[in-house]
Amino acid sequence: MQSANMLLKKIVRSSVLPFAAQHGMKKDLFPLSRTLSLSLCLKQDNSCKPSEKLDLDAWKKVMKSGLPEEVSETVPEPQELSSLAAARQTLEMWRLAGRSVPENMSEEQMKTFMECPSKSAKKKYLRFLYLKELYRKNDKRKMEEKRERKLEEREQPSKPEETKKSPFVCLWASTMDKAYNWRAAQSMIFGQPLIFDMSFEKEMSAREVANTVKQLALSEGCNRRSADPFHIHFCNLKDDSLYHKEFVKQYREAWGKLLITVTDRCYTEVFPKDKLVYLTADSPKVMKTFDHDKIYIVGSMVDKSIKRGVSLARAKRLGLETAALPLEKYLLWNTGAKNLTLDQMMHILLTLKDTADWKKALEFVPKRKYCGFVNKPVNELRKTLDLMNTLKFGKRQQEVQKEPAKNYPKK
Amino acid sequence: LQPPEKPLQAEEWNRLRENFQLPEIFEEVMLNSMIRCNSHIDVAKSLLTHMAKRNGDVAYNMLVKYLTLCVQQGQVSEILDVYDIMKARFKILEIGAYNLLIKGLSNSDQWRMALTILEEAKKIMIPSRTGYESCIKAASRHQETKLAFELYNEMLAKNVVPTLDVLQSFFDFSKGMKGAELQKELFGILLYLRENQIYPHETFMRSIKLWFESIPGGNWRGHLTNIKDSGQCPVCNHQLEDSDLTEEEYNNLSERIIRDVIHGTDTFRKTSPQEFEAFQTFVENRLPFDIVIDGLNVSHIKPRRMQCENLLDAINCLAKENARLLVLGRKHMLTNSANWKREIMKEMQSKADFFFAENISEDDTFLLYATLRSGKHCKFVTRDFLRDHKACLSDSLTRHLFRKWQRGHQTALFLSGEGRRIKFAPAFRYDCVVQTTGDTWHIPYKDVFEEKYSYQVPRKWLCIQQK
Repeated sequence: MQSANMLLKKIVRSSVLPFAAQHGMKKDLFPLSRTLSLSLCLKQDNSCKPSEKLDLDAWKKVMKSGLPEEVSETVPEPQELSSLAAARQTLEMWRLAGRSVPENMSEEQMKTFMECPSKSAKKKYLRFLYLKELYRKNDKRKMEEKRERKLEEREQPSKPEETKKSPFVCLWASTMDKAYNWRAAQSMIFGQPLIFDMSFEKEMSAREVANTVKQLALSEGCNRRSADPFHIHFCNLKDDSLYHKEFVKQYREAWGKLLITVTDRCYTEVFPKDKLVYLTADSPKVMKTFDHDKIYIVGSMVDKSIKRGVSLARAKRLGLETAALPLEKYLLWNTGAKNLTLDQMMHILLTLKDTADWKKALEFVPKRKYCGFVNKPVNELRKTLDLMNTLKFGKRQQEVQKEPAKNYPKK
Repeated sequence: LQPPEKPLQAEEWNRLRENFQLPEIFEEVMLNSMIRCNSHIDVAKSLLTHMAKRNGDVAYNMLVKYLTLCVQQGQVSEILDVYDIMKARFKILEIGAYNLLIKGLSNSDQWRMALTILEEAKKIMIPSRTGYESCIKAASRHQETKLAFELYNEMLAKNVVPTLDVLQSFFDFSKGMKGAELQKELFGILLYLRENQIYPHETFMRSIKLWFESIPGGNWRGHLTNIKDSGQCPVCNHQLEDSDLTEEEYNNLSERIIRDVIHGTDTFRKTSPQEFEAFQTFVENRLPFDIVIDGLNVSHIKPRRMQCENLLDAINCLAKENARLLVLGRKHMLTNSANWKREIMKEMQSKADFFFAENISEDDTFLLYATLRSGKHCKFVTRDFLRDHKACLSDSLTRHLFRKWQRGHQTALFLSGEGRRIKFAPAFRYDCVVQTTGDTWHIPYKDVFEEKYSYQVPRKWLCIQQK
């Protein structure tokens, strides 16, 4: 039908009917009946009447007329812009162009932005700030919605309140805090030490240090809430270091009241060397069981650009024993690096200490990183694995033999 | 979303907008699809008019999108109009718009305007390489060779890497032109290829050849050829440069390998100071070696065989003619195991010197050190491409030196034939870079469609000689 219409349209247009027009018609619905009844007085083959003919450049007039007069007067004297102001202008233009640029930037952020060594570094930093701003805005919006909902609820006439009868005073949060602190204090006397090695500042960027401290705060929190906390030691923590600054930023006044041990000394000076075990994913040795007499060291390092062997080098230098988690042994690894975040390490170690159950402990490895759990230790599965491998290998061998046969004739 | 074929009236746009599921981004999506379908510019104009009437303004990103469409279709007068509007509206533009303007105007008779826009863009940021590319091409197209070279040099000074297209355009546009100055500049480009170990592709090579042959009174003749393994050019019988480094380069490289690759940020990451010292005294006492072998790498060549047998085969192949061999391995090779039989290890140790590193140390770094210490004649055997070690070197100059040295000294081994025998691919005797002797030029090039990895070098050459 449509093609018939098109054909007709062509005939109509191509001077068979010089007066033909498509006034008020949609191109897909070329009504046969109306074409035939077209009267001679219809206009030429433009799409609209002269009176309502489109002025295609009208937008230019609008754009030019919309200009405020004063601006055009002040523009002629170009002012030397400071580099900061120029950068702000550039950012504004990028934002208008629809790039991921935050709306507001502090002086400090502007400075970091301008110090970025390359275009791509600048882009990345802006995107980071933009997303941060977006999340913050969304959080704020949600908070406000919540507040409004609460207000509405309050305004509704509430039922006459029954007097609550309960033997306890409702003081959950602070009571819990007290209980946790009590436990943490106990762990500082009797607990098993756990060391965080804070000597990686040079290997990290400022953002990585900030991430590290955030992870440490999370680990400290989950340690405090556990049934039997570790006695946490922050070793090699210098007073004027970036780590320290970030800690103060994170904890504020609470930093001085934390029930942990902070020292600028090295762990080898504090503890006997033969009891120390450095946990690192690069270690050739795999941890078999959690030893309650050992003192485990975790490197406080976030390495976004995977730096292999940095913490292993640290342990080698000091001649310490090392160990890696038996991830391969218990999990069918899927993707991702084998280094885990500090809070995940903390969860795993706490669970191991309490239960000695690897399956439970390794639940804290992110699910995306592995496909499943190996029920039995791998050495028990070895036979089946070997069988599977030989089967696979046998198959592959056949494929290899077939492939050249497929490929050569083509060449 | 299919853009309409004809300019629409405001009501029609409104109707379309309301039918779209996300009316707030309707215009943006519509303009994008117009760019994709290369719609007629009038359709876009009618949309802009509709927007202007609706909001009294057209947003900057819409202007940029419209500009993209104009540039795509080469609508010069429209580009100029949009530029005027943008300039009146905004104090500065962002780099994307500048790039579009440059690209659009450089292809027209308004190309000088593109140059002024490039100047403007420089005020806010280093222009992109494509921005420079358009301007340089426009200048050379209009015989402004001097200007083109000025821009090119400025680009290099700002560390903007020129595209091969730009380099090629210089040769294309300089065809048949006379002038010692011009010739010097173009030779400069060839030397740039040499220094950065860039290989031109086939069409670029043809441009170079045609330019040489078109130099008035130059009497240059070009031939395509393959260089013999000996490094002799079959056309002019000229012997190509060998890949030996100069004394200074050699010392520089070995120093940098020790500093950046072996020590790096922390000596303990790859070895330990004690071990490295032990290795150094070991090497110094036995120098010089002729071939250094990466034992573990070689031992894996046939997966179905015992690893020590593989290694023994390789050593037997290489041990001829009294060559002094050094095999690097790890301590675990010494413990009698399924893959490493003690008797075979003993046999091998009588034929070659062995150094066993700690199991957690990296033996590759020792390989590099021992080869470099032994001198220029020494080769090393491994299938490894050594990319991770190259990456440890901090500046590109040393990396180029490393690649050059690697090409000349690495013997790779592979399996071939029905019996799957171990074969060795000897290192290149000649250096695979653009080179000249004044009256000859030899330029390696790659086929356009040939996939080339960074470690591969082209086998095809352009030989140019002056009669």
